[in-house]
Amino acid sequence: MVETGHFALVLAFALSLVQTLVPMFGARMNNQKMMAVGGPVAVTGFALTALSFAALAIAYATSDFSVANVWDNSHSLQPLIYKITGTWGNHEGSMLLWVLILTFFGALVAAFGSNLPATLRANVLAVQGAIGATFLLFILATSNPFARLNPAPIEGRDLNPILQDLGLAIHPPLLYLGYVGFSICFSFSVAALIEGRIDASWARWVRPWTLVAWMFLTGGIAMGSYWAYYELGWGGFWFWDPVENASFMPWLAGTALLHSAIVMEKRSALKIWTLLLAILTFSLSLLGTFLVRSGVLTSVHAFATDPTRGVFILCILTLFIGGSLALFAFRASRLTAGGLFHPISREGALVLNNLFLTTATATVLIGTLYPLAVEAVSADKISVGAPFFNLTFGPLMVPLLVVVPFGPLLAWKRGDIFAVAQRLMAAFAAALLAVLVTALFIDGASVFAALGVGLGFWLICGALTDIAVKSGFGTVAPSIMLRRFAGLPRSVFGTALAHLGLGLTTLGIVGTLCFGTEKILSMHAGETVQLSGHTLRFEGLYPAQGPNYSEDRGRFALLGADGSTTAVITSSKRSYPVRQMTTTESGIKTIGFSQLYLSLGDEGTDGSVVVRLWWKPLVTLIWGGALVMMAGAAMSLMDRRLRVGAPSRRRKSTGAVPSASLP
Amino acid sequence: MLFWVIAAILTLGASLAVLLPLAGGPKGVSASSDHDLEVYRDQLSELDRDVARGLIQPAEAEEARAEIARRILRLDNVGDKAATRQPSMATRLVATAAVLAVPLVSWGLYSQLGSPELPSQPLSERLAKNPADSSVDELVARAEAYLAANPSDGRGWDVLAPVYLRMQRFSDAVTAYRNAIRLDGDSAARQAGLGEAIASAAGGIVSADAQAAFEAALKLDPANPKASFYLAMGMAQEGRIEEATAGWQKMLAALPQDSAWRAAVEQALAESARRSVASGVPAKGPDAGDVDAASSMSPQDREAMINTMVAGLDERLRQNPRDAEGWMQLIRSYVVLGKADQARGALNRGIAVFGSDSEEAKKFTAFAVSLGLTATE
Repeated sequence: MVETGHFALVLAFALSLVQTLVPMFGARMNNQKMMAVGGPVAVTGFALTALSFAALAIAYATSDFSVANVWDNSHSLQPLIYKITGTWGNHEGSMLLWVLILTFFGALVAAFGSNLPATLRANVLAVQGAIGATFLLFILATSNPFARLNPAPIEGRDLNPILQDLGLAIHPPLLYLGYVGFSICFSFSVAALIEGRIDASWARWVRPWTLVAWMFLTGGIAMGSYWAYYELGWGGFWFWDPVENASFMPWLAGTALLHSAIVMEKRSALKIWTLLLAILTFSLSLLGTFLVRSGVLTSVHAFATDPTRGVFILCILTLFIGGSLALFAFRASRLTAGGLFHPISREGALVLNNLFLTTATATVLIGTLYPLAVEAVSADKISVGAPFFNLTFGPLMVPLLVVVPFGPLLAWKRGDIFAVAQRLMAAFAAALLAVLVTALFIDGASVFAALGVGLGFWLICGALTDIAVKSGFGTVAPSIMLRRFAGLPRSVFGTALAHLGLGLTTLGIVGTLCFGTEKILSMHAGETVQLSGHTLRFEGLYPAQGPNYSEDRGRFALLGADGSTTAVITSSKRSYPVRQMTTTESGIKTIGFSQLYLSLGDEGTDGSVVVRLWWKPLVTLIWGGALVMMAGAAMSLMDRRLRVGAPSRRRKSTGAVPSASLP
Repeated sequence: MLFWVIAAILTLGASLAVLLPLAGGPKGVSASSDHDLEVYRDQLSELDRDVARGLIQPAEAEEARAEIARRILRLDNVGDKAATRQPSMATRLVATAAVLAVPLVSWGLYSQLGSPELPSQPLSERLAKNPADSSVDELVARAEAYLAANPSDGRGWDVLAPVYLRMQRFSDAVTAYRNAIRLDGDSAARQAGLGEAIASAAGGIVSADAQAAFEAALKLDPANPKASFYLAMGMAQEGRIEEATAGWQKMLAALPQDSAWRAAVEQALAESARRSVASGVPAKGPDAGDVDAASSMSPQDREAMINTMVAGLDERLRQNPRDAEGWMQLIRSYVVLGKADQARGALNRGIAVFGSDSEEAKKFTAFAVSLGLTATE
């Protein structure tokens, strides 16, 4: 089975070469048969990669230590779920997952792209095949997960304990679905550049892929942030760690792309810019992969530190980023520009959005790469941390967030900003009320905190206003309003949900940063501690045995007003003998949207234990907001507009629409 | 064999995916201008909806409609250029190359990278096969898996503990002996084994913990040879050579004539006698693992084993002669075996390797003198 997987991987590489060359030749020579090769080959390539991945996963699940990769990253005593997730909890396996997702998206284009123009489809699949071939070669040449050991050791070296968590099951697959999803936008862009023309429906095909990739990337980043929050045991949700930035940059650029693609799709404007953004977004995804995989950055993601691989990835980066940008430089002038618009208009608002987002991306990029550059030229080590990002990224984001509610309400081509402002009066009043309530009743000390809360409410109410205005709230009878509400395009709900989610996340961040409290103290069993109105009693440390670790569990009782126990929170320190590592499992109790977070520190000689406690108000909104954003993207994906672009077949079903005011 | 069949089927499938589209008949293909027209029509209808919803002012909508109309007109100018050319010689060549590339690249690359002869080896399968076919490692892993499920089976720990000791997994042996004692109670053999495991884990030094275990063993069975032997060795290590000698001599008197321990004790006595004459050489009895192995062998086997080990060391030094520690070990071994000539030969060879003026040569000579040996004779 293992060797079958290995062979399937090699075969997938051979097919990806065919997928790159034959359809591209076909498109150049306008040969239908050669162009038609792309589809079946892409699907078969995906099937083979999936077979290969399954073989590796089975080797992991059955603890087949004759596979070096399994021996290095698994242990027979691990629970089955961590054996399976261990498949991608290491460099080789995670690269295989990367390629699996890449070929999966390629197969999707092949399967659902029958309504694409033949040459575009052939070129897209060819570019996709080229990316696949490069990464398969990378895997086979430098990080083969199927390398064998003979004789096979009887026991493995265990998975890094930090990764033995459910987060590993969710975070990397989601993140990679996001990263790699942008490869489709990239392939479409490069294909358009190769053809030298952008079809009218180009944006309609690219936008759903952008939405899918953005949705998964949002989920992946949020999940990673929550994982770091509860697993690392120091209660932060975002560390401006270079690896986090590496995933955040494609998200910022992807968000910009999402918005510029709307303009392109609706108004055929911003074509060239959208193309460039698509290339940049995937380039940043590749850069993210490079930064994590090359060992240039040492961080939590410590499972890949082999500089020779880094050189290979650097070559991949140069090839794809350099190649596509060069192609862009040569071909962009041949593309025709599109529709006109006034500065104050929906288009204008979206351009403003793009300006802010790309500047923010550049800021993060500089903050991430500058230390590397300094180290490379002068051997000095500097670190660019939260203060830099708070001073640069923060001021860029705040004005953007302030203008977000205006965008969806502005008319296309020429908008009336005063009319929009009038409509937003209610939202503004709500935000002002939130500021006053915060300043007067909760915490008068910090003006920023109050304004931050106001900003959150402004975003949330602004999103609701958008829906209300478009349903005709206050201008038509309630029954008509309901009908209009039900008939609104899904993308309108998508926009509103995504912006609402942004507001929730903002509220969560402001709440946690400004109103959170923290305590570090040494406790004996039976002692109680007060934190922001909550009383906790330390019950003591109890040893326990896990499947492949032993732990000391600290039990804490959350006491109610009458002194009775309302909940028990446990935090533990685990020790994994195989890797000789200890981890801290934090104890978290969610109360409303807020969380009580505690983690155990060192034991004192007198039987006391250092305990760190945090009260994190509204903290769950940070990730809850991301979930709402994902729901918004999913809602937008269901919009019927995205399915238009095919000739003949759908013509009849949509032909009757123009006369009706609603679909 | 099965693997090659699967590989052949996969290759065939992959080749077909390339071949079939190339061999198939021509398909009806829509020109890209049809796609564009469809989109423009939809944009027009959407414009109407946006006007109805007030998302765009009527004047701007008119302007946008004109823009779209201009694009539709431009579309007609582009015309239809999607005529399929007849397959030429070049395309046929490309097709052949593509179909051939799949098996050639994949089998060529796999022959470099793969290990087709190695079957999958899931752990459960390895542990379930006939014990007679299993390696010691696999048997131990099987016992470990059993004990992980039934950690309160004292007998299991009891069986596993000496195996760990022989495999030189000393800290595991300590745990296993402790578990056996906890679950199945004290016995002289277990306490002595525990002591040996603790001492071996510490590189042969009889620590206070090990000593306590040996003493516990002697309390249960005053005639336990292992415990007596190691306790004496502990004394020797502390420099109490006389007490150690007394302990070993007492042991020798009490041991039955056919006991496997006799040789080990005699050897230890011989060494301690030498050391009491030429003190200054650190006390080190035979390696704990060797003693354990030797103690369960017949005298002939034991002698054969020792001779093999010394011969192996001799051979190793012929190949890697610059190993001062090794030479000293070899010299001592020959002295212990009573082969004075060979010991002298080893000493001369060692000196020759490093040169007679070297630090090492002086060290060897002093060492030989301490063992009662001289270089030239």
